[in-house]
Amino acid sequence: MKRRTFFILAGISTGLLILPPALYISAPPLRKFAIQIIQKELHYLKLEPSGVEKYVDDYFNSSVNDMLVNLRWKTFYYLKISPNQSARVFELIKYYLLSSDFFIHKTDESRTINYLGLYNPYKSPIPNPYSFQIYPPERPSA
Amino acid sequence: MKYNNYDLIVVGTGFASTFFLKKYLEKSNSPKKILVLDRGHLFPHAERLKLKKGEHSDFSQKEEPWEDAIINENKAKRWPFTLGFGGCSNCWWGCTPRFMPSDFKMNSLFGIEKDWPLDYDDLDPYYYEAEELMSISGPEDTPFPRKGKYPLPPHTFTAVDKILNQTYGNKYISQPSARASRATKGRNACFASSTCDICPVNAKFTVENSEIGVYENEQIELVFGAQVYSLETAGSQIKKVLYVKDGKDFEIAGEVIVLGANPIFNSNILLNAGDSNLFTGKGFGEQLGMQVLIYLDNMKNTGGSTWVNANGYMLYDGEHRKDYAACLIETNNAPYYIRLERGKWLNMASFRMLFEDLPLDENFIKPSANKLIPRVSFTKRSDYTMKGIANMKKKLPGILSCLPVEQLKYLEPFPNEGHIIGGTRMGQTAADSVVDKNMIHHQYRNLFVLGAGSFTTFSASNPTLTLAALSLYSADHSF
Repeated sequence: MKRRTFFILAGISTGLLILPPALYISAPPLRKFAIQIIQKELHYLKLEPSGVEKYVDDYFNSSVNDMLVNLRWKTFYYLKISPNQSARVFELIKYYLLSSDFFIHKTDESRTINYLGLYNPYKSPIPNPYSFQIYPPERPSA
Repeated sequence: MKYNNYDLIVVGTGFASTFFLKKYLEKSNSPKKILVLDRGHLFPHAERLKLKKGEHSDFSQKEEPWEDAIINENKAKRWPFTLGFGGCSNCWWGCTPRFMPSDFKMNSLFGIEKDWPLDYDDLDPYYYEAEELMSISGPEDTPFPRKGKYPLPPHTFTAVDKILNQTYGNKYISQPSARASRATKGRNACFASSTCDICPVNAKFTVENSEIGVYENEQIELVFGAQVYSLETAGSQIKKVLYVKDGKDFEIAGEVIVLGANPIFNSNILLNAGDSNLFTGKGFGEQLGMQVLIYLDNMKNTGGSTWVNANGYMLYDGEHRKDYAACLIETNNAPYYIRLERGKWLNMASFRMLFEDLPLDENFIKPSANKLIPRVSFTKRSDYTMKGIANMKKKLPGILSCLPVEQLKYLEPFPNEGHIIGGTRMGQTAADSVVDKNMIHHQYRNLFVLGAGSFTTFSASNPTLTLAALSLYSADHSF
């Protein structure tokens, strides 16, 4: 770990110990950081804004959401952690795309990306972006 | 119970029991009293689906978590299985390659462990029969000897599969699979969904959707919630089966007894019964699986029609098995490995590499203070397997040189493979094994011990088709 990164992490951790939990929870929600991470990483796509917010709400409502998780996400944001550096950031963005119509429209960057509902292979209309449902085999010409 | 004494008592309703019963019923020429004891309950596929969708199911209390059913001494190693009607046919992935002929001759070909007491040719007709019963989808040209078409056509290749098949021929094939490529009896066509354990579209073969007419047979009395834990022995015979139902102990007499629970529980039942065979419970384990991510340059890996879309045999057979493990390549066609780089989203292939392991004495099952709950002690992977991984890392870049590979990323081995093997190995005599080639216990001659627990060696291939074929073979040669 780089020296500067270590100090920032140490500072945030210390802050968590000093801050009373109630005060910490009342701080601005982590969700806005997650939204900003998605928007930043996918800046070249047209993300439907309310869809990103709804996705982040659904994502964190469906997973463990406690003070340590909040801290971790704030850390990611302040340290400008990229998907390559953090599996959690990678998962957040990956599942946003899987939860949208991006792959159904064959990764067409010109279209607005709509959120369809939190990814679930039992509910998603086409749950596999690699699938023959989206890329059917070429049929021999008659 | 309808009777005090049964012609046949079968423990479990998974693959091993079901295929044995199928053949037994075919061969029986007079009415039989058959009792089947299942520790769990029927938990229908439609109800399991409700839970997966976050809906309510009245059956949700019917599922017994595997973690509660055993004492797992090594928490880093997991042993997921499904209890209840159909056993692991509910949770399996539907991968059904045959074993290679060499898998049965590890000692004579490579000097490793023991040869099986039967060989590929012995099992060949039963492989066909099991493939027919499960309506397997697969290709015509396979690396193992097989003539003719599978019951259903093969699944569709991805772009990567096509190139590897062109390069390696029958060493790289569409995976033979119980995930139907076309709608067939009792099942829909696979949708290439991103999960298989409970198939979202009911395309995967299970005992419940099998339509092979076993448990509907009026000779069979099927009792749920009956957990068998031991046997009453008398010399070379088993006299009674001991079980717990609704918290009370019961016993029931039978002429022929069949243990078709999973390898962990088959071993526990035998050990609780005082089986003194030196190999009972020993040599337990499973294959080792690890994922390799293949980053592709300017190539989308799209178009596959099922999850495990193909099998590669380029690292499987050969003289190297004298020194290190065979590796079967499973190519995965699932959304969990995508790229987040602009324009490269689907420029990725992911291979699951399956390595055979050896039946080591250090890995074993033993009874605990609770007669119903076995203790699983798994402490070691063989050097043979670990050398296989090292060899794979050395060879894979060359094997994939026909593809535009940017980089390979090797992930850590998975904590489980879902292929529980060993504990009641098969061999020539009690000096080297627990059961004979018909899976009859060397000492107790009216006791069959079925399933992957009987495998002499592990192979690198998925075990279910072989254990189903063995059940057919066993019943056919014993009645």
